[in-house]
Formats: sequence, structure tokens, C-alpha cells
Amino acid sequence: MSEVRVEGLSKHYGAARALDDVTLTFPDGGFFGLLGPSGSGKTTLLRAIAGFVEPTAGGVFIGDRPVVDVPVEAREIGMVFQNYALFPNMSVADNVAFGLRVRGTARGEIDKRVGDALELVQLGPLGARRPHELSGGQRQRVAMARAIVTRPRVLLLDEPLSALDKALRVDMQIELKRIQREVGITTIFVTHDQEEALTLSDRIGILKGGRLIREGRPQEVYSDPGDVFTARFLGEANVIEGTGSGDWLDLPGARVARPEGATTIAVRPEHLSVTVDRPDGPNALQARLRQRIFAGAMGTCVLDWNGQMLKAVARHEEFSDLPESGPVWVSWAPRHARGLKAD
Amino acid sequence: MAGGIARTDRLRAIALLSPAYLWLTVAVFLPLSAMAFFSIITDVPFGDTEWHVTGENYTAFLESPTYARLLLKSVLLGVKVTALCVLIGFPCAWVLAKMIKGRAREALFLMVILPFWSNSLVRIFSWAIVLRGNGVLDKTLSAIWPWPVKLNLLFTESAIVIGLVHSYLPYVILTAYLALQAIDDSLIEAARSLGAKWWTILWRIVLPLSAPGLIAGAVLVFVPVVGSFMEPRILGGRLGTYYGTVIEDQFVAVFNWPLGAALSFILLAVVLAILALASPVLRKART
Amino acid sequence: MKPRTRSRVTGILGRVYLGAILLFLYAPILVMAAMSFNASEFYQLPFTFSTEWYERVWRNDLILNAAARSVWIAVVVTVVATVLGTAASVALWRYDFRGKRALQVLLFPPIAIPWLITGTAMLIFFFGVGIGRGTPAVIIGHVALALPYVIVVVTARLATFDRTLEEAARSLGARPWMVTRAVMLPWIAPGVIAGALFAFAVSFDQFVISYFLSEPGDSTLPVLIYTAIRKGFTPEINAISTIIIAVSMVVMLIAARFTKFGGER
Repeated sequence: MSEVRVEGLSKHYGAARALDDVTLTFPDGGFFGLLGPSGSGKTTLLRAIAGFVEPTAGGVFIGDRPVVDVPVEAREIGMVFQNYALFPNMSVADNVAFGLRVRGTARGEIDKRVGDALELVQLGPLGARRPHELSGGQRQRVAMARAIVTRPRVLLLDEPLSALDKALRVDMQIELKRIQREVGITTIFVTHDQEEALTLSDRIGILKGGRLIREGRPQEVYSDPGDVFTARFLGEANVIEGTGSGDWLDLPGARVARPEGATTIAVRPEHLSVTVDRPDGPNALQARLRQRIFAGAMGTCVLDWNGQMLKAVARHEEFSDLPESGPVWVSWAPRHARGLKAD
Repeated sequence: MAGGIARTDRLRAIALLSPAYLWLTVAVFLPLSAMAFFSIITDVPFGDTEWHVTGENYTAFLESPTYARLLLKSVLLGVKVTALCVLIGFPCAWVLAKMIKGRAREALFLMVILPFWSNSLVRIFSWAIVLRGNGVLDKTLSAIWPWPVKLNLLFTESAIVIGLVHSYLPYVILTAYLALQAIDDSLIEAARSLGAKWWTILWRIVLPLSAPGLIAGAVLVFVPVVGSFMEPRILGGRLGTYYGTVIEDQFVAVFNWPLGAALSFILLAVVLAILALASPVLRKART
Repeated sequence: MKPRTRSRVTGILGRVYLGAILLFLYAPILVMAAMSFNASEFYQLPFTFSTEWYERVWRNDLILNAAARSVWIAVVVTVVATVLGTAASVALWRYDFRGKRALQVLLFPPIAIPWLITGTAMLIFFFGVGIGRGTPAVIIGHVALALPYVIVVVTARLATFDRTLEEAARSLGARPWMVTRAVMLPWIAPGVIAGALFAFAVSFDQFVISYFLSEPGDSTLPVLIYTAIRKGFTPEINAISTIIIAVSMVVMLIAARFTKFGGER
């Protein structure tokens, strides 16, 4: 187990910068989610840590060992690939044993550790199967077992759940988290699914255009995104721009409380209330209710405020007094407004 | 009604298929059967020649060690050429499939494969020019080497092997390339992430996964080489007597067609045995 | 060695190796082409440029006749093999019936069995049934060799055809023949053209079958060249060989534009 660090890491392809001066520490034993839209550099970062991508500049450290000049096969990593990359010519047990065999581990030791690893991922009896005889979720588990059986210093997961369907994905998230806790290995995983990142990670890092723009605990980043991109990318956000004067933000036809010095604020949909009558206090905007969407326990109101779309989410009952459409008031508690840096 | 549709469909299928397959029957399958008959008679049954059924064409093969020796010589030639093609072609296919990307790969692949589809007789002939004593090869090597070189390869077995490898190498590269391309890069990356060095990856992952394609390619080289006669004639000169050239002689020089048919039929049996042995692999390689 | 240096070194080695293979494949052909423009009859160097051997080819009726016959045979073979092969491919693709696998397997022997065996078998059989040697026998043999190639190439193209297009056309009221003509044939046209070019190349370059089936004095170009080589070759053969290889490479380059030789593009 080790802490992993990248320092000033850059990767340029001609003029294109897949990674641009990224410095980041992945804590020992933690579960770190790298999040970003496609082309943000998250996969390049993961592959640079693995050693498949040679950085143009900067350093990668696993433990305290600089590994930029160490080939992949000597970096002591475990990796789970998007398509799992199970060797089709080998049985499940041989797949898992592969990493131990190339290290020259003794036969008895291999059998024991392979058995333990398959137990850990709850595939004990399937060792003799071939990969093509397994379901998607089972392949995922084999890939996990294969990656951790060599006791690597870091586990790298490249969109590990994206090939599974929605229901299975939620189950596997729980599984992944359990396995990671049991093994206690430093884990870095890449995903474009923000919900998955929030569910699994102890810490997340958000990348955009090759740069790391935000890093922190999921709750922190969610509740105080800091900039427009992060606010919109991580969950949904109503982003409102105005002109500041003192403690206030002036909007067309309204004035709302602003966090220190901000001219752009974000309010999460779950923090907006929608009422027919004007509520007491500031922070109220007059808007039109366009649509009410029923989605089981939760409901969504789609609102039009000065031509900008706002969204409010609450338990379904809270919206039951509202008309199907028409003029309404939208309000929020001042403490729920977060100031954002502009992009 | 359903039966009616099925029947018109069947008629259409028959109408579309029968011309091609009748043609193949007349031009390939019936001749191969006729050869079986021919191989067990004494003389050509045309005009008013006397002929009767006999086994002596086959006993000729068994009694004279020459034929068996030549067949063995041809088989060994096939083994040599096939082995060289695989040893030379596999790394080349690897470079093409895994080390070169994009449009360059497309162009290079076409360049490698193009000679295979051009005239093989002419390509063999071009080697005769290169390899002849005091020819282009000798002159070029003498120019590079500090002392004179007299390889004089033409009319040696090496010349025949070089010419045949040249003929069939593109084919092996093609089959190996297709097999290698089917191996997902992430499998190799996964093996590396697990600590495997390149030889382990080659031995445990790449070779097992590309074996069906490689074996298919090897068989499809081996078979025609065993039956080659033009290449040994042009590049081997007087040394170039092989099983194939003996068959050729029976038909164009000695005019002993029944013996030729028997020899051909024995070769066909050898070929079919090899194809049958390899057929599970061939079928796997196609899917 | 650092991974960076190592991957660069293997990259260079790989390219050098590929270059060596290409040199091996093309050098003799280029040497032959160069010699066909060399004035000396005995390949003497230094090289003196001359088109004498091409002029001699142009004045040699034997060569010209054989060339004309080769082209003529190849054209007939192309037409017949393309039509029959395309029809068979469509049937193999569209209909499911018992024995379909077997029919597909039957395409294999003409490709896989050495031409020496097929050629001698044809010779015997054609004599037996009275066709004998000569141009008709050569055409029958060439078509049989070309058919599997046409069927394989066209079938590969058909496999990329979206069956629902055909169903859509039928749901719009088009009769089966109209569907074939308006929807399917335009789609498979590149495959059919490639198949036709393959058929042309198979026939034009074919030596072994022609050798056994053509009558002396009535032979195709490759047979003529073989005979001439065995008698002791002259630079005229270089010239005509250079022309042949240029023609077949150009034909295959055009075919490559329509098909991918099974490789990914």
C-alpha cells in the first residue's frame, strides 16, 4: 500500500495538451475518483500512472519511488480495464493466477491466493470456467480478483462499471467499495458518471481540458463547487448571474443576498422552494412554472425565469399545491447560495 | 401459403446457386474423381487403345523408392519454406498490426500484400535474374563487401527456397496480421500491468490467441509448396527434380498419364490428410 | 534502459525490419524491370538505357498473339465468374437451407488443392469428355478457379448490408426483384467490382492450369514465358514480364480501392 503522487504532470500530443501541469496526491488506502467529461485527460492521467503513457513533463511517484523511468511491468500496479481484458485462452483461475506465475510464486502459494481472491469477489466455485462463459458482472469480479491478487501498491480502475447495465452497476458499486475496504489498497478510478464518483470515492478530482480544476471530499466539492463548470458537472445547479452591490446581488426585477463578493451564484435544485404566494424575506424571484414532472418519490418543477430555465426538486408531495403551470415564486435560504468563479 | 413462399424461395435459391456449383462440379470435382479412375488403368482410354484396370501405377510408386523419396523431398521443402515464412512473416505482421497506426499502416499493408496478387511465374523469373552467377546479387554484395563474392545461388536448393518464400511470405503476413489484429491491445496492457515481460506475453497470450490464424496460414502455404513444379524448374535447374516436376513430366514429356494420375492422386491424398488434420483450426480461424 | 528509449528503439527496429521485408519483396521485381531497359543482352553493367527489348516485343507476333489471347480469356472469365459468383453469393446470403455450410466448404478445394493436381485432373477429364485442350478448356478451368474468390469477396460485402433496408423496401410495396435492383445491388457494387478484378487477376496471372490445358502454339502469355525461360531466357522476356507485373499490380491496386483484403482500414 502506498500513497501515489503526480507532480507537474503534462502530456502533449503535438499542440494538443491531454494533460497540463497536474499535481495531485492520492492518499494511502483511499478511494480516489477522477471525474471529467470525455477528453478531459482523466484516462490519460490514469494511464500515465500505470505507465502506458509517457509524460512529456513531470513526475509520478508510487510510495516514494519515482516511476517515470520504470516500465509498466515493474511498477507493481493492479489495473482493471474498461472491457476487463480477461485472457480468453485461460480459465478464470489461470487469469487470476497469471500475475503470480510471472512473478515465479510457488505453486501451493498460487493456489491458495487465487482461491482467496476468488472467495473475496464471491466467485469461489467458478475457477474452471472460461471468461466467455461468464456474465458481465462476473467478468468484472474476475478482473478485480486478477488485479489485486498480486498485492499491488495501487489499484487503477478505468471506467470499471461502464460496460454493465444500470441495475447491475449499482450492485457492483457496493461490491467494489466492500472489496476495496477489505483489501485497503490505494485505489484510483476514472469515470464520467458523477453519481458513481460521489458514491464510491473518499476524494474526487475534477479534470477539464487536461487541467485539474477541483479536488476534495465529495461532500465538500458538491456543496461548494467553486466554479460554474464543477457546479454544473457535479449534480445539477441553477446558476444565476447578476451585478453585485454590497451584500446584494442585483438581478432583473429582484435583489438577492450574495456570498462574499460573488457575481455568479449557484443554488442546487433541492434547495429551491416553489410557492404560489410570495414568501417572506429576500431571495425570491417571480417565475413561470412550465412543467411539473412526477418521478416516483421525487418531483421536479421546470421553471422559466426571465427566459432562463431553473429546476427545483423536492419530495413529490411538496409540489402538490401547485398548479400545472402558471406564475409562481421561487425562493431559497441565503445560506444555500454558493458563490462561483466564472469559467 | 407459407409452403408456397418457401417453395418459390427454394426455387430462387436453386436458380441462383446451380450455375456456379454446376460449373465447379464439371471443372473441379468431376475431374478430381476422374483422376481416381485414371490412376487404376493401364493406358489412356481414348481411341482404340487397349486398357484394363490395374493397380500397377500405385505399385510403381511403392516399388521404386524414387517417388517416395521425391515426395519426401517435396514435403521437406514445404516444411522449410513454411517455417521460414512464419518466422519471417510473424514479426512483420506484428510490426504492422501493433506498432504502426493510421494511414501509414494501410499503405504498408497494401504494399506487403500486393506482390502476392501479381504474377507468381514472373516473380520467380525475376529471382533467376538476381541470383544467377555474377548476377545482380553477387555484384551488389561484391560492391558492399571488401572482397569479391561468388555466391552463384541460381540452380541450388537455396534459390528454390528463396523464390518460394518470396511467393508465399505475403500470404503468411496477411493471415498473421488478421490474427494479431483480432487481439485487443488491452489484453497486452493487462498482462504488462500484471508484471509480464514481453516474452511471457508472446508465449502465454499472443501466440495462443493467434495460433489458429497462423496455422491456417502455414497450411495454406505448405500445401501448394509440396505441389510446386514451376519454381524448382526455373530456380533449381537440373537439381530441381521434385515430386511436382515428376508429375509434370508424366503429362507433358513422358505422356504416361495413368502414372501421372496415380502420382497426382497420392499427392492429393497427402494434401487432403493435411487439410483434414488442420480443419478444426481452419474453421476456428475463419470465425 | 528507460522505457522511453526502449520503445523508441523497438519502434525503429520494427520499421527497419518492415523496410527489409519490403526490399526483399520488391527488389527482384525492380531489378527485372531495370534489366528490361538495359541495352546489354547478358545483363552486363554498366547500365545503358534502351527500349530495344520493348520494341522487339512489339514486333514479335508470337508474344502479341499470346498477350491478346490472355486478355481475351481473362475478360470472358471475369464476366462469367462475376455473374455466376454474385448470383451464388446472393443466394448464400439470403436463403437459409440445409447443406448451406457444405456449399460454402466446397468453395475451399479449388483454392486449397495445389493447381498441379487440379490442372492435371482437368486435363484428363476434359480429354475424356471430348473438350480436349485449347482455349475453351482454359476458360472453363479459369472460371472454376475465379469463382470462389468472387463469392468470398461479394459475400464479405453482403455481410455489411443491412437486412432491414430490404425489409423496409418490401414494406413499401417493392417486389423482390425491384428490391434487389434498387437497394441491394447498388450497395454491393464495390464488392462485385472488386470480385471482378480478382477474377481478372486470377485468370490473367494463371499459369499452372493454362500450362496443362492450352494447346502448344495456342498458349497464354505466362505459358509462353515459361517455355521461353526453359529454352534459355532473353531480355525480351524481361520486357514482357515487366509489363505483366505492372498490369496485375495496377488491377489489384484498383481492386484494393473497393475491398480491404480482409484487413481493417
